[in-house]
Amino acid sequence: MKGSRCLHQLKSLRLLSHAGRLLPPAAGDNGALFRPRSSSQLGGLQCAQREVLRHFHSSPACTKGQPARFVQEEDKTRDKSLVTHDDLFEQVAKEAKTKATFNKVIDVYTKGDIRRRGHVEFIYAALKKMPEFGVEKDLTVYNKLLDVFPKEVFVPRNFIQRMFNHYPRQQECGVQVLEQMENYGIMPNIETKVLLVQIFGEKTHPMRKYQRIMYWFPKFKHVNPFPIPEQLPEDPVDLARFSLTRMANDWDAKVTVYQLPCTDVTESGAEVTLPHIVGIQSPGQMEALAKHNPDRPVFVEGPFPLWMRKTCVYYYVLRADPTPPEEKIEEPYDPERCLSYPLQLDLDLDRDLGDDESFDVEDLDEGPVFAMCMTSQGDQATLNQWISGLQESNPILGQIPTLFRLGAGPRELQGVGDADSASRSWFPSHVQREEAHPGEEAEAVVEEAEAVVEEAEAVVEEEPRRSQGVKQ
Amino acid sequence: MVTNNPYSAVIASRISECGEKRFPTQQQQSLLLAQGRSAQWNHALDSPIRTEQGFTSFYFSVKFLLPMHNPVTISKKACFVLQAEVFPYPEIGNDELEEIKQLVAPVEKFFSDDVDSAKIDREATIPPETLQGLKDLGLFGIMIPEEYGGLGLSNTIYARLNEIIALDGSIAVTLAAHQAIGLKGILIAGNEAQKQKYLPKLASGEHIAAFCLTEPGSGSDAASIQTRATLSEDGKHYLINGSKIWISNGGMADIMTVFARTEVEVDGVKKDKISAFIVERAFGGITSGKPEDKLGIRGSNTCELSFDNVPVPVENVIGEIGGGFKIAMNILNSGRFSMGSSCAGMIKKLIELTSEYATTRKQFNKSLSEFGMIQEKFAMMALNAFVMESMAYLTSGMMDRPGIPDCSLEAAMVKVFSSEGGWICVSEALQVLGGLGYTKNYPFERFVRDCRILPIFEGTNEILRMYIALTGMQYAGKILTGKIKEMKKGNIGLAIGMVSKKLRASLGASVDLGLTGKDGVVHPSLEDSAKKLEQNVSLFGSTVESLLYRYGKTIVDEQLVLKRVADVLIHIYAMTAVLSRASRSISIGLRNHDHEVLLANTFCNDAFFKNNYWMVQLQKHSPENNDANIKKIAKQVLENRAYICSHPLERTY
Repeated sequence: MKGSRCLHQLKSLRLLSHAGRLLPPAAGDNGALFRPRSSSQLGGLQCAQREVLRHFHSSPACTKGQPARFVQEEDKTRDKSLVTHDDLFEQVAKEAKTKATFNKVIDVYTKGDIRRRGHVEFIYAALKKMPEFGVEKDLTVYNKLLDVFPKEVFVPRNFIQRMFNHYPRQQECGVQVLEQMENYGIMPNIETKVLLVQIFGEKTHPMRKYQRIMYWFPKFKHVNPFPIPEQLPEDPVDLARFSLTRMANDWDAKVTVYQLPCTDVTESGAEVTLPHIVGIQSPGQMEALAKHNPDRPVFVEGPFPLWMRKTCVYYYVLRADPTPPEEKIEEPYDPERCLSYPLQLDLDLDRDLGDDESFDVEDLDEGPVFAMCMTSQGDQATLNQWISGLQESNPILGQIPTLFRLGAGPRELQGVGDADSASRSWFPSHVQREEAHPGEEAEAVVEEAEAVVEEAEAVVEEEPRRSQGVKQ
Repeated sequence: MVTNNPYSAVIASRISECGEKRFPTQQQQSLLLAQGRSAQWNHALDSPIRTEQGFTSFYFSVKFLLPMHNPVTISKKACFVLQAEVFPYPEIGNDELEEIKQLVAPVEKFFSDDVDSAKIDREATIPPETLQGLKDLGLFGIMIPEEYGGLGLSNTIYARLNEIIALDGSIAVTLAAHQAIGLKGILIAGNEAQKQKYLPKLASGEHIAAFCLTEPGSGSDAASIQTRATLSEDGKHYLINGSKIWISNGGMADIMTVFARTEVEVDGVKKDKISAFIVERAFGGITSGKPEDKLGIRGSNTCELSFDNVPVPVENVIGEIGGGFKIAMNILNSGRFSMGSSCAGMIKKLIELTSEYATTRKQFNKSLSEFGMIQEKFAMMALNAFVMESMAYLTSGMMDRPGIPDCSLEAAMVKVFSSEGGWICVSEALQVLGGLGYTKNYPFERFVRDCRILPIFEGTNEILRMYIALTGMQYAGKILTGKIKEMKKGNIGLAIGMVSKKLRASLGASVDLGLTGKDGVVHPSLEDSAKKLEQNVSLFGSTVESLLYRYGKTIVDEQLVLKRVADVLIHIYAMTAVLSRASRSISIGLRNHDHEVLLANTFCNDAFFKNNYWMVQLQKHSPENNDANIKKIAKQVLENRAYICSHPLERTY
């Protein structure tokens, strides 16, 4: 399917170039557009041919992204006008890549040529440049871009035009603008609609696209029960606080900042950076920990990744293995517990099978998690500091052996690479880690830990792969 | 049908033993009355059955369902206990009646002349002269036996006096905290020495008592009581440490019943158990906090008490050490029954107050009393008062039977019904007056505020519903377990029997418990209502059985199911009480008994439909039952700790 589409496109290209030759003023592209409507039979013919060839009605999946490539191909082959559009952006980009400059480019284009020659190419080029200028999420810019289209020219005037695909290239371009909005999650507004009606008229493809977006977007707007704010807190402590609260999902859980990040200069003059340590624990977890059998060790495990939009943070957990069934003691029923009514009935009748709804696929005994923490430096010394902080409110930790099972840091997270500069500035401490010294990272852990970590994998599952240390 | 039913057969035989017609003619009646007592109505008291204390009365409601299901295992005597206890309506002797009249008149006079409820409410304290007046009337020792200086009155008279006392909520609570719970421990479980030492002064009101159980971390949960009593080294004292909250009379009490944790050795293992102590304020180490500022019953004193190494001599332990749990339970269970008569007394007063307004106030040239919606409120108040009265005096009558009958289930039912009915009635009474009722110029707003405590104290209604339903379930379960197990195993004979019975019931076969008919205990003018009761009872029997089949002992966790079971039980008990009382009234020709019949029939009709609705909800896959949704809503709301809907003005595009 894809192949055949490419073929069609090539054909249409050839056809276009042919048309270009026939119509020199049109600069090779769809020149018919800008000629007076009445004048050309040929233009109409051309349109009809292209309709056949371009398969507007093929499945949307296939259409996706195609026009961009189409433009690129043109770019490579022979279209000069597009190069100039790109150049226009490149020129401006030398100064600064901002919304203002982007708008300036559009203004320059719209004011430069009253006929808006080559506007489709211009729009495609602009769409491509939007992320560079950081305006890919700006609705006003999209509207401004749509405004580049000449108004009323492409609105079908009779039923035949309406029936067939009127000005498909323009329509496709309009759809592409909306598509990009959709991909960035930008919801069109009423201005968009007015523009689309002015440009393409009702019941055209861009309008349909608009309607579909307006149908689905509001429906999905609040589909996530745990929304992440658009702007994550920049301070690592605040970010840690936010992510821990989010993970714990418990209103009673209390966040404790065990250490604020700070830089100290030691006597010898060396600079020491103290990492931040932020932990969270709920009263329920404290209770569970207090009941934990001190003969069984608890584990500090991590780091585990947590993604929040484009930022990745790491957390550590304090957990234990599930209590073996023989150690589970059910509290014996005390008939003198409740003053008012019997808490249990003295009957030899169980629940009927038909009414037994206790089966739950999520009810797995994975072992309790007693607390979580986040720190910028996941070595044992730092985590030890966390555990001693916890011990203040959980004195039992003093009796329980604590094992450190630390992975060597998150290697695969380097791939985040394009988690762009913005995310880096959000969370510098982790960028350091992401930035790429997996070896160093592992070394650091090795130095700290008593055992050696050979394998630096974030997946923590087998004992030998972990650094282990025992804190008593 | 009648002859097939062993239940009615028993009744029939029993009645023929009595050898009397159920409903004596006018002549016979006057004859009987002339003898001082209607022998017929009294037979329950004189019959040998009353010694059968093994069949405590709490079986009352559950045993209804027994003849329907397991006629073999049930003892015929148990069947009769029902009849003996509930039909006929309990009666008091003429001399006792005379006594009541003598007592009630001065109390009524005192409350109307000397008690300024508005002032008590405003100043949040009962003036000493009022308290002294109450003491002079002997109201601090109504139920303390005469040998200890009290009035030594029965539960029935106590209930009657409470009708008047309840006109001032603050006084009612003060007195109840003193004698219904405060000194009850000494009365029911104290030894002779303790009684001799404490009761006389408590009866005279020289000392005021309080009951100290609730703690910041412990309501009904005895396991979380933190107050501790430790034996001193010389073994002569217990040292009590801890704090108690919401202690009625806490600020002025001299004698307190305090519950504390003590170490007890059971089978060589040291265990913590609750013990009860008599603590005098004079022992020292007791500090009471600031009185709570409350919504209602403002004149009553409620505060926190803290105990700091209070030395209590060992002879002040009530009962035995470690036996406090049972004592606390008994005290709480026995304190509740009077709420029925209190509420009834209050509603009767409210009817007087509002009816005057409704008949004199004119709107559109009509007095308020001509409007249907106003009439409805008065009918509702009268109905509620009638039902509460009937339930309260039936229960107190049962409690006055010799021995120590356990009427805690009935008392709980009375409490739930009357506290909720009372709340609706005061609010409707206020509504009759509209805006006027909302002002402090009228006592209605005070009644509303005072009344709000009723569903809360003496065991919240939620907890009492659990108690009512579970007690019933436990009893029914014991009898039905064998049968249900057989059915689960697939006993075809039993299953066919069940099906055919259900089929017969659905085809309209009447259910007959022997309440009506030739030898019935209910007057013919109440026959329809009695039939409705019988029908409810029989449906309730099969409902309980199916619930036990479905949930078994895990029914403890099905609170919404239990709530309906409790509601049905309460209404069945109310219907029974009403039928019994009205039958008696007709038979002995009490004044306005036709009005009673009207009330009884109206109430039974109403309760019948309510019960049917609840029982339909209890069926499996019942579309009327919203429980699953209700739980889900609550879960989502509670997970978010907020109302989670988006605002209706919100938009997404």
